[in-house]
Amino acid sequence: MVGDAGLWAQQPSSRESQVKAVFLFNFTQFIEWPAKTFPDAESPLIIGILGDDPFGNYLEQATTNEKINSHPLIIQHYKTVDEIKKCHILFVNISNKEQLDLVFKSLEGKSILTVGDSRNFIRQGGMIRFFTDNDKIKFQINVEVAKAAGLTISSKLLRLAEIVTSKNN
Amino acid sequence: MITKREKINAGFQSGKAIVNEQNKCSDSVDGNKKNGPRNFISTALFFSLAVFSQHSMAQTVDTSLSTGALKKLSLEDLMNIEITSVSKHPEKLNNAASAIQVITQEDIRSSGAKTLPEALRLAPNLQVAQVNASQWAISARGFDNVLSNKLLVLIDGRTVYTPLYAGVFWDVQNILLEDVDRIEVISGPGGTLWGANAVNGVINIIMKSSKDTKGLYAEGSIGTILPGSASLRYGGKITDKLTYRAYVTGFKMGSTNLLADSTNAKDEWTAVQGGFRFDWDPSEKDKVSLQSDIYDDRPNPDGGTSKPVIARGDNVVARWNHTISDKADFQLQSYYDYTWRDFRNGFTENLNTYDIDWQNRYKLGKRNIVTYGLGARLMDHKVNNLELFEFLPEHKMLHLFSGFVQDELMLIKDRLRFTLGSKIEHNSYTGFEFSPNGRLTWTPSEHHTIWTAVSRAVRTPARIDRDFVISLAPNLPLITGSDLISETVIAYELGWRVQPGKNLSFSLSTYYNVYDNIRSAEPGPPPFGIPIIFANGVKGETYGAELAVTYQLTSWWHLRGGYTYLEKHLWVKPTSKDSNKGTAESDDPQNQFLIQSTMKLPGKIELGTVLRYVDKLPAPYVPDYFGLDVRIGWKPFKFLELDVTGQNLLYDYHSEFTPSSPTPRLISRSVYGKVIFRF
Repeated sequence: MVGDAGLWAQQPSSRESQVKAVFLFNFTQFIEWPAKTFPDAESPLIIGILGDDPFGNYLEQATTNEKINSHPLIIQHYKTVDEIKKCHILFVNISNKEQLDLVFKSLEGKSILTVGDSRNFIRQGGMIRFFTDNDKIKFQINVEVAKAAGLTISSKLLRLAEIVTSKNN
Repeated sequence: MITKREKINAGFQSGKAIVNEQNKCSDSVDGNKKNGPRNFISTALFFSLAVFSQHSMAQTVDTSLSTGALKKLSLEDLMNIEITSVSKHPEKLNNAASAIQVITQEDIRSSGAKTLPEALRLAPNLQVAQVNASQWAISARGFDNVLSNKLLVLIDGRTVYTPLYAGVFWDVQNILLEDVDRIEVISGPGGTLWGANAVNGVINIIMKSSKDTKGLYAEGSIGTILPGSASLRYGGKITDKLTYRAYVTGFKMGSTNLLADSTNAKDEWTAVQGGFRFDWDPSEKDKVSLQSDIYDDRPNPDGGTSKPVIARGDNVVARWNHTISDKADFQLQSYYDYTWRDFRNGFTENLNTYDIDWQNRYKLGKRNIVTYGLGARLMDHKVNNLELFEFLPEHKMLHLFSGFVQDELMLIKDRLRFTLGSKIEHNSYTGFEFSPNGRLTWTPSEHHTIWTAVSRAVRTPARIDRDFVISLAPNLPLITGSDLISETVIAYELGWRVQPGKNLSFSLSTYYNVYDNIRSAEPGPPPFGIPIIFANGVKGETYGAELAVTYQLTSWWHLRGGYTYLEKHLWVKPTSKDSNKGTAESDDPQNQFLIQSTMKLPGKIELGTVLRYVDKLPAPYVPDYFGLDVRIGWKPFKFLELDVTGQNLLYDYHSEFTPSSPTPRLISRSVYGKVIFRF
């Protein structure tokens, strides 16, 4: 656009996807899931992507050969929310309001950390939302929703986040 | 239960080192033009010129990081990584489907460039020739001239343009180089987005947001042909969402030398410019900026005993970017620009420009991105004529209304996209003009882009083309404007960008341009052949290639450079009797190359080198030359930096361009020192 503009930009830049992928990986280290979500010490920690995968290879690069407390990291892709069996972090690449409502409804009661970047993501019930500020990636966290799902978020992560609630966003 | 694992916080900085710059040199200079009819048009044009011419360091984190390296960053550092998209970020250039090259703040700083035109030398796809102390001939893809009229230049969205000759007065664009974020140089037509006059290229100068210029910056320089230069800037924040800066910069540039006998041309140039900028983010979805500059400029291109030209001006630009949703955003921008120039011979020019521009971008379904916009510009242009040198009428209100629409269609997701659009403009002289463009971009992999485009662009008439009269005596015109119509180009481009490694990138752009209705000067009836009348009697074609390379060899050594080849053929139409056969419109080198090296050395020393080669200019003849600039910078403390820069080191004197007027000059070797404080 005129002056200072994304003349050729249409999709998220590769750098943006890369940074977000690394954030997703980092989140695994700042969240505590209920013990029952890991049947045993070697059970995988599953990062799921619902909808189109925006990360290219970056999420693979970020998670390959990584273990979090002996839990190997695994990436799964889901076309619909019904395909989700077991999952710890879910990146929800859906911005349609109705669809999002359905997703959050069906995830209710499950200890899944939901992450997204659509504008209404938190307002509709998501937990962590990426946004861009001055060309840098920042994130909002809805602590109440995470708590309700049995997740504990490290204060280290909270300190860097913009804390929001479902109502005031 | 997952516990937290601490990450290693790899401290890295982006950075390159110092730079020096290079300059040019030339051996003997015998650039004397032949006299006689072949130079008639240039005489005509330059006659007018004679009159005119009287005259932090964005502390971002390294952009070349692998995912593995990013993982080693702390969350805080990760939140400081800039993720800007293509046109905003050199890295993402990889997918840009045009011949865009970017000069970064780091490139400028490390080169030791003192002025904007010197900084533009760092774009290998531009031809930049210094004419005298205060004038430059700058163009892309040929047609270089002091009155170059096929290049569009914008500073933060404000078109820097005089309707006098459809070009740029480079002497009044004295921005503070420290506050430049980057300069995007797009060679090739940009008419679909930018409109008329973006025929051969667009220079988009983008200043830093005031968010990135907090604190005090002060610099002072002195050198062998730099009597003095000083700048002061202060920036801060009023609230978390509102930041500001104010600056003032001023200099006195020393003289060039006369080509005839190497004596001092006494064409010193002084200028003072100041301004401010506010950036306000009222919400996450809105960005507002307001900026203004004011200047007083005293160039003296004629030199000798001439009185310097006085040029003054000011401008205000307001811009609002708003994100409507994930799928849509818009930008509204408006500016006012005032320029006034007293040539000190009785001729003055006064221009008030009012511009408003709106653009909207929508994601339509999964495959389309539609951009459209509307713009309006009024130029209130007034001159004080001389008896034998006139623009008629003296006062003219020029308008430009424009609309454009462009669709970017994703044919194969992430792989193949097709862009089609056109600008439609209505101007005071020629009515409606169309600048369509079709572009196909194939991205076989993330690091590999092949693009091709066909574009049309126009150079609409300026006042010199239509309203200009030079007379030998009252009622005895020598040269007159005419019903000149727009010059047109159809450009065929093919480009390739590849990034074989994360530290290495190449871009190759090739083009074939077909020009029609280029300005000619037609002799009048016998016996004297006057008045000479401007017409659209020249056709032409150019083809060429532009190669650009950047290479981060090590964490402390950065290389960039390029090679540009240009082949140009102009000829007159059967109806034309232009004795110059069109050549007077331009004087271009066939080959150019540039290498810029920036090294960060131990002991807080930076070494920058710029080596440049410019081929000979055919007519008027100017020998080819090499330029070498070297800058050594030492930063003993965070707040203090000391620089020494040598420019044009290879020769005592060299010539870069031979205008018909004022007299041709030589540029000498020079050295200057600079002290910088940052708090």
